[in-house]
Amino acid sequence: MNILLSPITNLFVRKSLVEMVQSLSFRLGIKDTFISIKNITDKAFIRTLNYAFITLISLAFLLSQAAPAHSQTMLSPRQVTEYALTLEKLEADFYRRGVSAAQNGGLQSAPQIAKDAIVSYGEDEAKHVTDLSAALRTIGGDPNAITIPASPNYNAILNRDPFANPTDFLLAGQYVEDLGVAAYKGQVQNLLAAGEAGKTILAAALEIHSVEARHAAGIRFLRQTLLGSDVRPWISTNAGRGEVIYNENRSGSPIPFSSDAFDGYATKDEVMALIGPILKLSQQSSEVPEAITSSTSRPSEPVQGLW
Amino acid sequence: MNSRNMSFTSRRSLIKWGIYGIAGIAYTTIPPALVAQSNNRGKTLTFNANDEGILNFALLLEELEAAFYAGVVSSGKITNAKELEYMRYLGSQEAAHVKFLRSILADRVAFTTSDLSLNQTSLEAILSSRDRILNTAVTLEDVGVHAYNGAGPSLTNPTYILAAGSIVSVEARHAAGVRLLLNRPSTEPDSDRQVKDSDLNSALNPFKGRAYDELYTPKQIVSIVGSLNLLNNPISGALVA
Repeated sequence: MNILLSPITNLFVRKSLVEMVQSLSFRLGIKDTFISIKNITDKAFIRTLNYAFITLISLAFLLSQAAPAHSQTMLSPRQVTEYALTLEKLEADFYRRGVSAAQNGGLQSAPQIAKDAIVSYGEDEAKHVTDLSAALRTIGGDPNAITIPASPNYNAILNRDPFANPTDFLLAGQYVEDLGVAAYKGQVQNLLAAGEAGKTILAAALEIHSVEARHAAGIRFLRQTLLGSDVRPWISTNAGRGEVIYNENRSGSPIPFSSDAFDGYATKDEVMALIGPILKLSQQSSEVPEAITSSTSRPSEPVQGLW
Repeated sequence: MNSRNMSFTSRRSLIKWGIYGIAGIAYTTIPPALVAQSNNRGKTLTFNANDEGILNFALLLEELEAAFYAGVVSSGKITNAKELEYMRYLGSQEAAHVKFLRSILADRVAFTTSDLSLNQTSLEAILSSRDRILNTAVTLEDVGVHAYNGAGPSLTNPTYILAAGSIVSVEARHAAGVRLLLNRPSTEPDSDRQVKDSDLNSALNPFKGRAYDELYTPKQIVSIVGSLNLLNNPISGALVA
């Protein structure tokens, strides 16, 4: 991901500049922009050999961009609602298929406690879809214009059918729910920045955000309890990509995200890049989308046929 | 009324537990925690209706949770290995929240840990059995979630709201985890809610019901925490009025 520094020779200078950019961004209370600033500085480094020159233009860039840069990645309350509705429609559909597979498919062998969770969490997501749709209408949007494919490519999550057995379904569910939590968290600053116009959607997002965290914790608990997976309801310190599929351990913030006591966030661009293959957004129709976890250095967990 | 003061050692010890807990080492110690006795209710805690007041209010809840889990671990009433591991981790995570909030508040912090006076009788009663302990943990964690959610829209500093979001989802994970230890549902059924729908601040809560962790006002939080009778300190200020 773009968070990682690519290994090139002038690493030391790169690193200190990135730290400087991060520290300034956060002092200014700018979160979403710092990644794009870093990207551009990365490119500048590759193009340029003169360290002093680099520092100068980067500083100039910073000074010119720091204040207005917030608006580059800032989403309006309506855009946040449309984005959230996309995620909720996808989650609701994911659980709907899970419920179906629990009745007469690959999840029939799941213990009742897991089946109950699938039903319950699916009901919550369906309620989120209903209520966010109504909220979107009140701010001038059209919930029916927010669509997901009739058959989302859920195989993109693990590079195999997540509804084939309970073990894979719960792993995929953990990835989806943890990502959902991070996605909502990634929008609270945008909604706050919208002032009074964002207050209702901010409250709605907060109400949903922690319920998604309960879902994530519940699925993690089931994996620990039923499968003996080395996972807990909370995200472990310095969690790897086998545990969460977004960057949970951002540095450069006063908030110690890598600690298990603090959950990380994901920007809309990061989330869309991860769920794009599920939504079939890369229109290479005949091409099988790459699994969204395939870029991790850790292999995804093997199928455990416990049930 | 019996009361105890939380000493500074208790916080250091909590952090120590956190470190050992992460290392996965079973580590037990007598919680020094609550030593001094006094019939005084302790310092009045005042919370202003601004970012500083909200963070101090969050700090109070985190201090209570941290002290609670410290007492839980030392009570000897949690004997199941998995449950004890959860209690240790939760305690260390609450202690990390305390440490973080104190660091960003810096000189704006409204009270020290030793300013807080816990009701020893209530605490001992709660710590008398596994079921009471875990059910109280659920209450504290659920309340923490509603409190952070309720405070969110009142914050003005973008870093603070992101920090609150970073913490509240961990509290929600705690709530769900302990609920499941008790075979209770991981989300909060309407019947478990401490504030009825009709008493919710409607301006704060666009959505209601099980699928949502509703936003409680600081005043509502004070009332719920007060019903646990854990804290002796009087509470005042515009935030909780």
